[in-house]
Amino acid sequence: MTGELIETIKLTKNYGDFTAVDQLDLTVHEGELFGFLGPNGAGKTTTFLMLMGLSVPSSGTAVVGGCDVVDESREVRKVASILPEYSSLYGELTASENLDYIGRLNDLSKEERADRVPEMLDIVGMTDWCDSKVESFSRGMKQRIGIAAALIKQPRLVFLDEPTIGLDPVGTKEIRELILRLNREQGLTVVLASHLLHEVQMTCSRVGIINKGRLVVTETLENLTREMTGGDDRNVEFRLSEMPPGLIEDLRSIEGVKLVTQRDDRLYVYAGVESDYEVSRTIVDHGAVILLMRPKEFTLEEIFMKYYEEG
Amino acid sequence: MAGTLTVASKELRDQFGSKRFLILFGLVVLLSSLAAYQGVDFIRNNEAAGFVYIFSGSQMGFSFIQIMVFFGPLLGLALGFDAINKERANGTLSILLGQPIFRDSVINGKFIAGAAALTTLALGTIGILSGLAIPMLGFGPTLADASKILVLALLTVVYLVFWLSLGILYSVLARRTSTSIMASIATWLVFSIVISILASVVSSALVPLPAGSIRPGGQGGQGGFQMSEEFMEAMQQRTALMSNIEKLSPANLYEEAASDILGVMGGFMRGMGRQEFQRTLTLSEALAANWANIAVLAVGLVICFAASYATFLRSEIRPGD
Repeated sequence: MTGELIETIKLTKNYGDFTAVDQLDLTVHEGELFGFLGPNGAGKTTTFLMLMGLSVPSSGTAVVGGCDVVDESREVRKVASILPEYSSLYGELTASENLDYIGRLNDLSKEERADRVPEMLDIVGMTDWCDSKVESFSRGMKQRIGIAAALIKQPRLVFLDEPTIGLDPVGTKEIRELILRLNREQGLTVVLASHLLHEVQMTCSRVGIINKGRLVVTETLENLTREMTGGDDRNVEFRLSEMPPGLIEDLRSIEGVKLVTQRDDRLYVYAGVESDYEVSRTIVDHGAVILLMRPKEFTLEEIFMKYYEEG
Repeated sequence: MAGTLTVASKELRDQFGSKRFLILFGLVVLLSSLAAYQGVDFIRNNEAAGFVYIFSGSQMGFSFIQIMVFFGPLLGLALGFDAINKERANGTLSILLGQPIFRDSVINGKFIAGAAALTTLALGTIGILSGLAIPMLGFGPTLADASKILVLALLTVVYLVFWLSLGILYSVLARRTSTSIMASIATWLVFSIVISILASVVSSALVPLPAGSIRPGGQGGQGGFQMSEEFMEAMQQRTALMSNIEKLSPANLYEEAASDILGVMGGFMRGMGRQEFQRTLTLSEALAANWANIAVLAVGLVICFAASYATFLRSEIRPGD
């Protein structure tokens, strides 16, 4: 036992002949905002259900907060909360009643509930709607109240399953900011499942990519990008006032420059940072003015497609 | 246990607040009151009739017992058919089970709440009927009558909770509420209507009437029909077979036991073709004669609940539940 918040060893789930999760080895540290990225049906939700002790693994083991998810599943559910995809609370109850019910299921006393229910509503910005029935809420409000319900037990860890799915841009931004705030201000460990690449890119520090039940890679975002580009080299995009003849050939002869390509009025130079000076110098020497120079970063999309094709 | 009570109190609040329960309760009270009114009329005109006749109705009318026979399956099934699969459909099951409770708290809590709602319905209806009848009659039940009514109330609760358990079983077995509601409606129709049709068809097929046993023209040329000995015998066999087949229905078991407990005829169905007054049974005689019926209902209740309990505890929580 390493003291990690989540540790799985060869975690596997079969539904009949179909393998939903295949020998998953995953580690999540305390305080992390971990992105669990994969297309629909990759096995993200099934993994969450197993880690919450709601679904029994076909083989392999998983430990959450020091407790085995099969033998001590009730203890696991004291440590961890889940916000299922497309979930909703009880529509016929109000926001406060829902939170109160979840609080009672967590054995919170009347006084604790009286404190925490308004507190949680405040955190998710739903205080004004505390006495409205959940069925009258918009999708975004339902997600926020769902997060409040997940937090009322004061967990160390929350699993958020596609938390921004079906939300408009404003709602998406609100939820994203809420997740970041909970992670930074309350030190809450968050595991965020998403098929949206930019969402994970904007929130998570480390990402695990899952496809067809298999964990393809687990890395920090930086390392992942570096791995993609094979070292410290990166693609730098230039926009020049003109495109002097012979420039491309001269750039290619500079030491450290691996590749030079031209697309429309843009020039892409694939090289390390140390070559930047010589590259700019050469351009200016050819009589052109640099109007724009910026490193073009790999998007997670490109990274993902690479692993996705391999997987 | 704390989880069970939490779930039960939430579910009970849902039941009492639901239009479904209020409509059914209202319907049962309305119909039973009309039946009790007929009963009061009957008691006024028959000195031999006691207070319990408000539950059995007059000879040709309908009664509380018959209302329960017909609506009982509907009441129990309606309160149970979506207990579990509604939570699956709404995606609340994974949130509910994601709390640190034992999984059986959920099904136990829902069962307790449903049983409490049905108990309220049965006792409430019986209480309202008695409350209406006493001022109209000007006298109340004797001690013997009161104990009969109490036993009837308990039997009715067992009978209704049996249907509740079956409904909960459907809600565990079927992932969709549309499936479990169809199963419930089918069950209700089978046990309240189809079984008697079936009993009559099967008994006619198994016990053929001897040919030429009905001849027009009776003795002394009075007209009508003359029936042979064999014919009468075959008819009796048929009736016996029919009543045995009908015993497959829990509703029929309840009707027999309830009528005997009250010690009166159960209204038009049972009353037809019999003497108006039988010797009334005492409570202990009625229980002795009907213990098998009551036991079958209770065992059926336990089996249905145990099956739903075991199935639910082993069922997979899948994505979307």
